[in-house]
Amino acid sequence: MFVATRDLKFAKGRFLLMGSVVALVAFLVITLSGLSAGLVKANISGLMALPATHIAFEGTDHPGYRNTMVERYMWEGWEGQEGVLHSEPMGHTVFNARTEDDKPLEIALWGIVPGSVIEPSVTEGEPLGTVENGVVITRDLLDDGVTVGDTIILDRVLTELKVVGILNESRNIGHLPVIYAPLRKWQEATYGPPGGPPPGEQLPDIVFDFVSIVLLQLEEGVDIAALDNENETLTFDRNGYFAASTGYKSEVQSVQMIQSLLFVISAVVIGAFFSIWTIQRTKEIGLIKALGASNAYVLKDALGQALLVIIVGTLVGLVGMFWFYQSIKDTELPFMLERTTITTSIIMLLVAGIFGATMSIRRITKVDPIIALGRDR
Amino acid sequence: MSLKIEYVSLVFGDGDEQVKALDNVSMELQPGQLMAVLGPSGAGKSSLLAVCGGLQTPTSGKIWIDDTEITGASRAALTRIRQQQIGFVFQQSNLVSSLTALDQLLLLVHMRGKRAGKSDRERATKLLDEVGMSNRLNRRPHELSGGERQRVGIARAFMTNPMLLLVDEPTSMLDQNRGKQIVELLVRECHEYNVATLMVTHERGILDTADRVVDISDGQLSERTQ
Repeated sequence: MFVATRDLKFAKGRFLLMGSVVALVAFLVITLSGLSAGLVKANISGLMALPATHIAFEGTDHPGYRNTMVERYMWEGWEGQEGVLHSEPMGHTVFNARTEDDKPLEIALWGIVPGSVIEPSVTEGEPLGTVENGVVITRDLLDDGVTVGDTIILDRVLTELKVVGILNESRNIGHLPVIYAPLRKWQEATYGPPGGPPPGEQLPDIVFDFVSIVLLQLEEGVDIAALDNENETLTFDRNGYFAASTGYKSEVQSVQMIQSLLFVISAVVIGAFFSIWTIQRTKEIGLIKALGASNAYVLKDALGQALLVIIVGTLVGLVGMFWFYQSIKDTELPFMLERTTITTSIIMLLVAGIFGATMSIRRITKVDPIIALGRDR
Repeated sequence: MSLKIEYVSLVFGDGDEQVKALDNVSMELQPGQLMAVLGPSGAGKSSLLAVCGGLQTPTSGKIWIDDTEITGASRAALTRIRQQQIGFVFQQSNLVSSLTALDQLLLLVHMRGKRAGKSDRERATKLLDEVGMSNRLNRRPHELSGGERQRVGIARAFMTNPMLLLVDEPTSMLDQNRGKQIVELLVRECHEYNVATLMVTHERGILDTADRVVDISDGQLSERTQ
């Protein structure tokens, strides 16, 4: 890199400009990755925490968490089947709700069997089942000021839920905080009449014959299609039941598309810069070759230069991104930094940049040293 | 013998469009001898340098540099020969713009896959001192005058102890006085380092310092008696 390092010093303005562009692209790419991871977390962190290899929905054409209804015979049909290690009914309903001091909330109420594998370990308060309408809230509601002992009233059905426990972790679905409730309370709120049963009466048994989904722990090689057919369900693996969350697929695809475009843009911008730089240096490259430099020598020099600009630019972008992260980490922006996300983004950016630079720089090999004698080639 | 050319022709184009840049040229050049090749523009001067420097393959004929035949050699072999056996002095501006005068010489060491050590620096400094550039070691080309750049180019050509020096119009961008100084410097260096030197030029005023003068016209050489 004898000439390359001296070029960097000599034309520092141009390389500073190029390095800034790389830094900006790196910043954008990593920020988008953080945003993408944050969106995933905000959308499906509740689903990610479920101990299920598969989830069975009602067997319709387009099942989703909001429009699935699984009847008792369907979920019981999964129990004890060969290869089914565990099955668990679960309810999911989105509610508008209010706190006692009339603060509006939008929540995803999950009905689970108290003491089942789905129930989270509370970090504060009591687990489910100690109180008939006792629920466990997650961190996002804690951040909204809800705490143990508070009452949450579901709009429309007017069901009152008492917060008995807190899980100090984010558990969301479709950007809504999850509240874990006893399955019977969830069934009452979802399928019962507003305000609950009339005084002195009980809800009919049929209310308690429906849930939303069945969580499954399946062994490898289970004939899922046959069991689905038998139980009138439609079963998805983890990626499938993540994708069934409203908006998840489109959000992640949008962000990934922007990321892909940024990788293409970075390859094109870096390629264009080094293309112009190479054209400007054609005469000097011819001179160096005439003096006895091999193609490998000039290529190594130019690629080393490109690599240096890309690496330094990326590192500056990374520092900028950490600074940005510090300034937004306490806000509500769905942003999450993970080592794998950062590493993948950086590697992708380096690959795109080096690809762009290589495409431009390879023309060096075509430069004829005879141009050093003033001939046009 | 440092350079030997036998029946070399260089032809461009086909049929009626055919142009003979070199026409059956033969010559020999001994170590320490400076041969000036004089001719007008388009006479074949640059073509002669191009084939002797392995920058262009002649259509026919053979060329030897220090008993190594270069005609028919691979591109990689020609690159190696240029790197190890040939020194070039080009027209005025052929220096690398980002390199200082000292680095222009050290680049040749680096191209050979070596890190420039103390002895290389000393040699480069000595060569630059010999061409009167010791006070301009750290100047880049844009900070040097035309004559100074040419002096750096001459020092660079001697950096790798070449067998053969090929010089292309060294005075074309200089006034007559400076041009003469440059040629005198070339002659002195070529004698001191015992390097066979082939210099092409179209300026007659600088010929009296050359050991031999050859005219070139329509690609053919004819030797003058000095």
